[in-house]
Order: sequence, then structure tokens, then C-alpha cells
Amino acid sequence: MKNVLTIFKKEFYRVMSDRRLVFTAILLPGLAIYVMYTFIGSAIGNEYEDITEHTMIIYTENMPAEIENFLDTQEINPEFYDYNSSNHEELEAQILAGEVDMLIIFSETFEDDVDNLIVSDILIYYNPGKKYSEYTFSVIANALHSYANVIGLDRYGDSYYAFTLDSEVIMDEEKAAGQGFAMLLPMLIIMFLFSGAMSIGPDSIAGEKERGTIATLLITPVKRSEIAIGKVLSLSVISMFSATSSFIGIMLSLPNLTSGSGGTLDVFIYGISDYIYLFAVLLATVLVIVGLISVISAYAKTIKEASMLILPFYFISMALGISTMFSGEASNDLWIYFTPIYSSVNMIIAILTFDISITAFIITISTSLVYVTIFIYILNKLFQSERIMFQK
Amino acid sequence: MNTLEVSNLKKTFRLSKKQQKIEKTNIKLKVAVNDLSFTAYPGEIFGLLGPNGAGKTTCLRAISTLIKPDEGDIIVGGSSVKNDSISVRGKIGFLTSELKLEDHFTPNYLYTYFSRLHGIEEEIIEERKIVFFEKFGIEEFKEVKVGDLSTGMKQKVSIAISLVHNPDFIIFDEPTNGLDVLTARSVMDYLIELKESGKTVILSTHILSVVDKLCDRVGIIINGKMKICDTLENVLKTSPNNDLEEIFFDLVKEEELSGGVN
Repeated sequence: MKNVLTIFKKEFYRVMSDRRLVFTAILLPGLAIYVMYTFIGSAIGNEYEDITEHTMIIYTENMPAEIENFLDTQEINPEFYDYNSSNHEELEAQILAGEVDMLIIFSETFEDDVDNLIVSDILIYYNPGKKYSEYTFSVIANALHSYANVIGLDRYGDSYYAFTLDSEVIMDEEKAAGQGFAMLLPMLIIMFLFSGAMSIGPDSIAGEKERGTIATLLITPVKRSEIAIGKVLSLSVISMFSATSSFIGIMLSLPNLTSGSGGTLDVFIYGISDYIYLFAVLLATVLVIVGLISVISAYAKTIKEASMLILPFYFISMALGISTMFSGEASNDLWIYFTPIYSSVNMIIAILTFDISITAFIITISTSLVYVTIFIYILNKLFQSERIMFQK
Repeated sequence: MNTLEVSNLKKTFRLSKKQQKIEKTNIKLKVAVNDLSFTAYPGEIFGLLGPNGAGKTTCLRAISTLIKPDEGDIIVGGSSVKNDSISVRGKIGFLTSELKLEDHFTPNYLYTYFSRLHGIEEEIIEERKIVFFEKFGIEEFKEVKVGDLSTGMKQKVSIAISLVHNPDFIIFDEPTNGLDVLTARSVMDYLIELKESGKTVILSTHILSVVDKLCDRVGIIINGKMKICDTLENVLKTSPNNDLEEIFFDLVKEEELSGGVN
């Protein structure tokens, strides 16, 4: 145990005493996520604001004053110009270029048609390839549908409607809010845990082989298993630092990201116990990931080879994260919780949606510990293999 | 009990395709050492001589427990490399160019780290560190990262670290390689000191003048086999001119004629 601690401290010191490594492996992920998500949120917000505040340039023909008045009551910002059919082609070109947002042509007899119960046709020209034009179309089309409903109601009273629809919302607001996190976070967390471990794992083992420093360690009277445990534990702690930094970055920036598009995510819906569960799952997951990366790094001859061999596992873990992204709900099948990493993804969702099953939690933690024990056993065997350790 | 005894050591390597290409051969298995035996005693320097690829390094790696013998055994101070490798590792101080120090750390940190891995008490670590760092002139550079040290200073730090546990058996593989004359001399002087303090020293080198100056007994390995193993005095007597180089060349030539040397 003393040797495990000595190796743990040395591996830990190696990273923590290297300012560049601390910055790139631990601080940068969180900082980059915060800046990136906040920037994206702000960009989405600016875009949304830009579109909604845009003055719609609309050419009209025969537009009834009543409709113009109706549109004025809507929260839109239109400017109407008279249409001249002799300039039709030029106007189409302007719509194509995005200089004009829309052309609406009413029939000359539109108002009479409405009064005489004749179905009248409104022709709209717009360009869905231009954001202002598309937004103008959606807003004006909605307004015209509303106006049609007003006319229908005038004509037929309540009998205009075949039925009305009322709904009573029954939901756990916290759980619903948690689902927002549950859809976004598991994939990101697994991704950051993996990339955190990837940034230091190959260097610690494959790097030592490549630089020839592993042999210096192997000729000390320390059991190979102690070397394996010491390295895995220190890499796990550092990876946890990296993942925590990423996690804080995500939690702080998600409200910024979603507020841009009008959404709200409150990070304070979770209590201490939720964070403890989450921390336990993250630690178990990081142990499995570090164990896997350590085994691959011990097998590889160089850092480059180790990184190449780790990549497929990185993609698989990302795919596992993505696979649950759209449901936002944890699986109820217990066997899922015996599967490495996938169990963590589901458990993270369960925690975030306040739907945690203690049995599933215990299975996730226990099986992760079994997996990391297996990885340490394999690592120990690899350290004992002269062919693996000293192959050229 | 304090002898180091190599008995009938045999080690075979499987050659990768890359290695077969480099060595221009189709042979998949290469016998690195075959039926190699010798004994090194306390208070002497045993010189292991041989041309490149003769099997010296393989033999030393087997002694240091980095690789396992296919056949035969090595007994270091009563412990077998096959059955009690951890005990063997606690008894030997091994230095080879193959063992590198991590560039990121300082000599001070590494000395303490390796001492702790050898289970040495903190107080003794500090005492020994002061002595070694003074002796090798490391003191001034003890907080400089290894990556920033000169080749000679790196080698001195490696020697100090290989001896953190004051081992009874010292195995040095080409310890003066790449060193300037002054540093090489200080290393050789230190080997004599170790011998005089009763340590068992095995020195592998291809520099015959070093053997002439330092070794009490000599073993010459050619093509994985021990060709001669005796006191330096007796070995020199086999040549009319008492010339080690002449003896060495004759043995190589003899092996070539028998088709043994590549």
C-alpha cells in the first residue's frame, strides 16, 4: 500500500507540477466549454433578437385595410409597400436576393368574396432560403390563419368550432426540468471523462515505455500490481479533476446556452444527495475508463499507437451517450446496469431526472469496480510481460 | 552467500518481422545467450566483455529480472531471479543506458522517490542523498530538471539513483558510454571504491582499457556463449604479449571460423 501511495503521489505530482499540463488537461476543458456554450447561447440569442426585431419589407396588392389593421395588432414590425405588376420580375429577384421579405397578393374582390362566403385565394411569394423572409412568412401566415378564425367565428359563432381542446398539465416540474439536463449531459460527461483520461493516460504508461523510463521503475522491488494500482488511481483522480472542470463548465454555461433561445435550465434544482450520487457514478466511470486506457497504453509501443487504439473506444462511448440523448429517460432493465459505461450513462440520467433506483445504483458501482479490478489484473500481467514491456 | 551466480543461462527471443529485416535473416528465433555460467564474488569487479550483440545486455537484463531465463537460473545473494525476483531487485543496483530518468523531475525528487520504492526510511534517504550528491557533484543541480542536465550529470544522477538502497550487487552496463574523460574517470574511481567496500560489481563494457584498469576477473562472451572466464591475470597469460585486445580478437576470429559470429 505504501508503494501504491508513492507511485500515486509521483504520478499526481508529474501532472500537477506541470503548469501547461494542468492548464490544458484540467482547467482548459471547463473554461473552453463555458466560453464555447456561452458564446453559442449568446449567438443564438443575438440571432433570435435580430430576426424578431427585423423590419419586414412586404409588398402588397389589394390588401384590405381590415387585415392591415389586424396585422398591426400583432407583435410584428412590418412595412408595407404597394405592388406594381409591371415590376413583378424585379420584385421576385429582390425576394431571391433577400432585399424584400414577402409579396402578398389579394384578389381585387377579396372583401366582397369574404362577405359573400366565396372562398378567396391569397397568393404569397417568399424565400425560405432567407431567414427574414422565412420568419416573415411564418408570422404573416399565422396571423392570416388567426384572422380567418376571427371571420369564421363572426359568421358561425361557437358552432364554427367542431370542438375545443383543453388540457390540464400534470407534471413534476423538477423532473421535467431535469430531463433537459438528462438529454444533454450524459453524452457530454462521458465524452469529457474519456478525453480527460486520454490526455494523460497514454503519456503515463505508453510514454514511459517510449521514453525508456518504465524499466527504471520495473527494476525496483515493487510489485507490478502496486505499480498498476498506483498509476490507475492517480490517473483517475486527475481525470476526475478534468471531468469536474468540464462539469462545472457545462453547469454554468447551460443556462446561458438555453436562455439564448428563450429556454430556461436551472442548475439549482439538484440537492446535495443528487450530487453525491453523481460524484460516485462519475468516480466509478472514470475508474473503468482509466483502467481501459491504461491497459491499451501498456499494450501499445508508443503514445501515438496508444491514442490510435483508444479512439474506437472513445467513439463507442460517445455513441452510448448519444443513444440515450433523445429519450432523456433511464432504462428500467437491470441488465443494462451490468454494462460498462452504458450503465453510467443510464445512471446519470436516472440521477438527473430524480428517478434513481438504489438497486441499479449499487449494480452500477459494483460492476464498475469489478471491471476496474479486471483491468488492473490485465495491466499487472502486461507489466510482467517482457515481450509487451520491451518490444521494439 | 554474497555471490552472484549465473548457471546455464539460456535466453531465446522471437524476432519480429521488422527485426528479421534489420538483421537480414529469416530465422524467427534468436538464441541471445546459451548455457552461460559464471560467478561474481564480493570485493571484486567482474568484467563482462563481448562484441555488440554477443549477449552481454541480455545476461544483465536477466540478472536484473527485467527478463526471465528460458533455462538455467541466476542466484543473487541466495535469491533466485526465477522464484524471488522482488528480493533480487532489492539486492541489486542496475545501471544501463536502457534505463532512463524522467526528464520532468529533479534529481532531488527522483532520488527520494526511488528510495521510497526501496522502502528506505526518510532519515536515511536524506543522509545518503547528501553523501551521493556531494560525491558526484549533483548538489548544485539537484533542483534542475533531468531534461535540462548535461549527459554526464544525467549519468551521475542515474548512478546515484541505482544505488539508493546501498545494494550488495552492482551491475553496470557500459557506465562510461558517452561521458567525457573526467566524468568517466570519476565513475571508474567510484567502481573501485564500491569494490573496496566489499560489493560485488559486474561491469559490462567493450572498452578493453577499462577492463584492464578495473577488473579482477573477466568473462568474454561471443555469440551468446562464454568463451573464457578467469582472473584477468590468467586470461592475459593466454596471450604471448599479455594483450587483452589480442585475446579478444583471437576469440572473435575463432568463432568466425567456426561460423558462429554474424
